[in-house]
Amino acid sequence: MNLSARMIVVLTAVGLISGSFLSVVGLLTKERIAMNQQLEIQNAISEVLPSTKTSHKVFEDESLTIYESRDENDNPVGFAVYASGTGFQDIITLMYGIDPSFSKIKALTILEQKETPGLGAKITDKTSFLRYWEGRNCEQPLSLRKPAVESPGNLAPSEVNAITGATISSEKVLDIVNLSLERLKEIKQKGQLSSEEKNAT
Amino acid sequence: MKENTFILKSSPHFRDKDSVSKIMYAVIISLIPAVAASIYFFRLKAALIYITCVASCLITEAVFLKVRKKDMHSLWDGSAIITGLLLAMTLPPSLSLDLVIIGSVMAIALGKQVFGGLGYNVFNPALVGRAFLQIAFPVAMTTWIPPSTLQVNTATFATPLGNLKFLASITEGSLTPLKDLFWGNVGGCLGETSAIALLAGALFLLFRKVIDWRIPVGIISALAVFTGIFWITSPDKYTHPLFHVLAGGLLIGAFFMATDMVTSPITPLGAWIYALGIGSLIGLIRLFGGFPEGVMFSILFMNTFVPLINRYTRPRILGERRRRA
Amino acid sequence: MPPKKSIGAEYLKGLWNENPVFRQLLGMCPTLAVTNAVINGIAMGLATAFVLILSSLVVSSIKKLIPSQVRIATYIVIIASFVTIADRFLAAFFPPISKALGPYVPLIVVNCIILGRQEAFSSRNSIGRSLIDALGMSTGFILALLLLSSIRELLGSGSFLGHQLLGSWFKPWTIMILPAGAFITLGVLLGIALLIESKTKARSV
Repeated sequence: MNLSARMIVVLTAVGLISGSFLSVVGLLTKERIAMNQQLEIQNAISEVLPSTKTSHKVFEDESLTIYESRDENDNPVGFAVYASGTGFQDIITLMYGIDPSFSKIKALTILEQKETPGLGAKITDKTSFLRYWEGRNCEQPLSLRKPAVESPGNLAPSEVNAITGATISSEKVLDIVNLSLERLKEIKQKGQLSSEEKNAT
Repeated sequence: MKENTFILKSSPHFRDKDSVSKIMYAVIISLIPAVAASIYFFRLKAALIYITCVASCLITEAVFLKVRKKDMHSLWDGSAIITGLLLAMTLPPSLSLDLVIIGSVMAIALGKQVFGGLGYNVFNPALVGRAFLQIAFPVAMTTWIPPSTLQVNTATFATPLGNLKFLASITEGSLTPLKDLFWGNVGGCLGETSAIALLAGALFLLFRKVIDWRIPVGIISALAVFTGIFWITSPDKYTHPLFHVLAGGLLIGAFFMATDMVTSPITPLGAWIYALGIGSLIGLIRLFGGFPEGVMFSILFMNTFVPLINRYTRPRILGERRRRA
Repeated sequence: MPPKKSIGAEYLKGLWNENPVFRQLLGMCPTLAVTNAVINGIAMGLATAFVLILSSLVVSSIKKLIPSQVRIATYIVIIASFVTIADRFLAAFFPPISKALGPYVPLIVVNCIILGRQEAFSSRNSIGRSLIDALGMSTGFILALLLLSSIRELLGSGSFLGHQLLGSWFKPWTIMILPAGAFITLGVLLGIALLIESKTKARSV
């Protein structure tokens, strides 16, 4: 066999063997990886809408995914909104629960973030930053209170506390939530939410 | 016979009266008004931070000199004392003393001795110590207390620049008054608050020709022009240049930190390039960056360019031709 | 060709004399990027070891078949296959670690330690010797990552493997879990390594 033929044969053989090997590995792990992702979403939904029994996707595009959730009697609990946007360092991905009439935020959770540890990363703090989002009125866009106040009673109905020293990270979270709220209402008005809901059920 | 003798000696051929320690002690004297002002405004807290800083810088320096088997006399050349004083002046008065010690050790160890000691360091050691603390303890380094001369009943307090960046709206007139900035009756790092005390020390240094006048002049004018352009175009969004010059660490940075002989350019043209770079970077960070203050990062950033600036602004030897590229 | 080393020396050279991180300065990207916590350092070390050992085995066993003109391409295909396996495996069974390591698992493909060992060792040595060499290099790499990540996690979070070691008196040095802390720690460790090296050399001369 001359040299160039041998080169082609060896490379093709190595490529074929690796390729077939990898497709087997891909098939074996595919289901489990999908399951992991789904589990993560489900955990997040039951975190932001604790009485959720079943949930299903009602809207999806590249920046926004909306799940509708129902309790054990099949009554609507609200919607879980999965949204992402740029933070101070990297993409922040979050999920929040909202009641069916879009008037109150039930809870917020941060799924992915790479903000500065000890500073911007406090956006994941369930005992302070995230606590102030519970029950906020979201009929109009939310706003940030800076400097932060001690008791939630001192906040206006649609205000949330900023993190001291990490105003930018707090603002980014606020922007993601406000932008997705605006889109959520738009989608609802266009009727896309209900029509897909019918398709899904 | 005598006049035909050549004396062969390596450079330097001209010797100044000034020695390293003489210059260093002039700098220490020039810092006294600002140190005194900060002790007046922040009382015992300030004095404790100064003592801890200088003492731990000297101890770290001594340990390194001992380990590297160097002459112990250079401990008292004044450079470690200056690093300690300058570092203390850039710290918030409420900082706990254990963090002060960590910052001092890092300033001498990482800022100076790992490069080989005085004269070999690339960065201003005091600012290395401060940068380390700023990134390691972001919350403690941005918690400010009001000076004891201000009658306010709050535990925490915003600096004039922090107030400008995060809280105040310019049109409402809630900015810190210029009079307070000038005398130092504001919150902030120990030594940066009183403009008048810093200027007094700076005048002494300029008079003694210890520092290159081009560097502070370049930094202040670059910042004034930069912030001035934005102020003129939209005065309702940006504040006037005088506020930027008096607020924060600009004066202490321009007169006492950027002028450090080891880490600033040696040629006049180089000094201008370096100073204009620092001034515009400060403006950029203050107006558009995530931090309210940018003096420390701007000086450290331009420090990295000093060897390059020195190389390209070296004066040509008489008769040397410009090499064609 | 230099005389063959004993099997023990072949293994031990990866730990110190030819340590990939401290002596050869290879694989700096994962060394700096993922050592912010001990668990990440260990996971990265093990994933790299898995790829290095298996690639060395495959390369040394088929070295006679590969024409030298396409050897690099062949090595890369082999390495990339094992990296993909490691990446999928982590995503399927250890999702939190896979998330923490992010793009650095796929980036093992371009880790110079792996390609360097194939080119410098496995392609011209027996299967057994290549295996020992790969094991030694992997151990050296894992130990280096362990050292770096232990220092960084201890100072940066006051913990080791997630267990809080230092009490509440300790104020975590946030800088140590940020990229700047990686460079500072690596620089200090490299300085110490050079110091030890120069001391031992001075003694042996």
